[in-house]
Amino acid sequence: MSFDVPTDLHYMESHEWIDPDTGRVGISDFAQDELGDIVFVDLPDEGDELAQGEDFGVVESIKAVSDVYSPVSGAVTAINERVFDEPELLNEDPYGDGWLFEIELADAGELDDLLSGEEYASQIE
Amino acid sequence: MTGGSPFVPHTEADRQAMLDAVGVSDVEELFDVPASVRFDGDLDVPARSEAAVRSEVATTLDRNASLTEFLGRGHYDHYVPSVVDRISARSEFLTSYTQYQPEVAQGFLQALFEYQSMLVELTGLPIANASMYDAATALGEAALLASRVRDADGSTVLVPEYVRDERVSVLENYGAGAGISVRRVPGTARTLSPDPLADAIDQEVAAVYAETPTARGRIEESLGGVGDLAHQHDALFVVGSDPIAMALLEAPGYQGADVVIGDASVLGLPTSYGMGLGIFATKEDYLRQVPGRLVGASTDDAGRRAYTLTLQTREQHIRRERATSNICTNQAWVALRTAMHVAHLGPDGLIEKARRMVRLASDLADRLDGIAGIEAPASDGHYFREFVAETDRDAQALAADLRDRGFAIHAIDDHEVQVAVTETTADATDDLVAAIREVTA
Repeated sequence: MSFDVPTDLHYMESHEWIDPDTGRVGISDFAQDELGDIVFVDLPDEGDELAQGEDFGVVESIKAVSDVYSPVSGAVTAINERVFDEPELLNEDPYGDGWLFEIELADAGELDDLLSGEEYASQIE
Repeated sequence: MTGGSPFVPHTEADRQAMLDAVGVSDVEELFDVPASVRFDGDLDVPARSEAAVRSEVATTLDRNASLTEFLGRGHYDHYVPSVVDRISARSEFLTSYTQYQPEVAQGFLQALFEYQSMLVELTGLPIANASMYDAATALGEAALLASRVRDADGSTVLVPEYVRDERVSVLENYGAGAGISVRRVPGTARTLSPDPLADAIDQEVAAVYAETPTARGRIEESLGGVGDLAHQHDALFVVGSDPIAMALLEAPGYQGADVVIGDASVLGLPTSYGMGLGIFATKEDYLRQVPGRLVGASTDDAGRRAYTLTLQTREQHIRRERATSNICTNQAWVALRTAMHVAHLGPDGLIEKARRMVRLASDLADRLDGIAGIEAPASDGHYFREFVAETDRDAQALAADLRDRGFAIHAIDDHEVQVAVTETTADATDDLVAAIREVTA
């Protein structure tokens, strides 16, 4: 089975993605498939300061709860409130309507610590 | 160990076959128990026949003084009708250890769901779990919940001075690992009103705990103000109450309580000297922070209403070290009995029982107050099931003299006694009053 891995995003080994242009963060297609039907999402509040690698919330599916980690350090500038009522968006559109929050990068250099699309694709092969 | 015992299923031949199969000569080889923790002596437990053991135990028990107990402070003797014993002793209830398998446990799960639903009505909060061990452990869990959900820093839990030391000790024990500290609010030995709380509360406070009725039996009248003050400081308001009292009093959830804890064993068990049934109810906001088991209603594949344990991702077997609680069991059978008792009483029956607890305490206090040298209740207010009386005579000596006359009451200190009365002791109050009159004369 192959998974969608957009190459314009950066990835964590723990399956979160970040869009370097918008600071938008979510979980990967592979992650949503592993978790199964997602029923609950807990997110940080707008204005929260996150450190790179810090757990910012949980994604709960019918079979597991996973902590999710911030790809970079910075302040949370927006959260996707739609996923509270429609957590299935993470399954249906993990790189689109199922995004989680937007972060203002404190240090763009941190993006270098992340995996490229190609590197991430080979990790989940 | 030899074969042939009616209590041990394996014969010596069975054991030998198993040992041969795994290739060891002795069961001991399968275990590695350090010598330092082994007991090598004889246990010195004499073996007797069943009849001889029964006789000796009966003789020993007969030596107990059988006092008429007017004791309370958290444990109460209520009459549990025999229909509850009869139905709850059915083997499908009595012998089922747990309810993991909805396909074989619908009856039990439905009873637990109804127990939860009753607690939702009584507490005025939308979620009740399938029970904790007792009120004290439920309070510990409430403090842990508060420390998890609170935004601001600080994990202090404020408790009034009237809370029993045993309950506070369990709370401290639960909170220690999570960095929770417990502080008493000065000047609250009899009641907790907003003023002393306002002096004690600060931004470090994660939760404020209050009781109604209190450990002294007092029905608190300023819970709403106390809750408002807690909320102004971003602290959770935790209320300890009693399932019978809540049938009569305004539900704590309607007075701002974020969590209600308590002990429902008063409805499910006869006097049990410690065994409990912890109530835990909270708001929908904290659904995923609830400790312990939750039974939910769903539908089966044929569309019929069906019950199952739910939201188990909070629990240890899935969430491991990040579970909301290390308690993954409950007092299922006692909760079942409680649900049966409440269903048997019905709403009117439960409310009438609660009214009677107010009347009994009030009548007995009035009669004791008529005795020279006794002031009952010790402070004005409404009381439920029990009250504190002030005595001119040394309270310990008074309780000791009453014990000689066949009555147990609790001496709190040198000048206060606490007296609890329920329907099981209502008929003995004349004798108690007469005895107290004698020992105070």
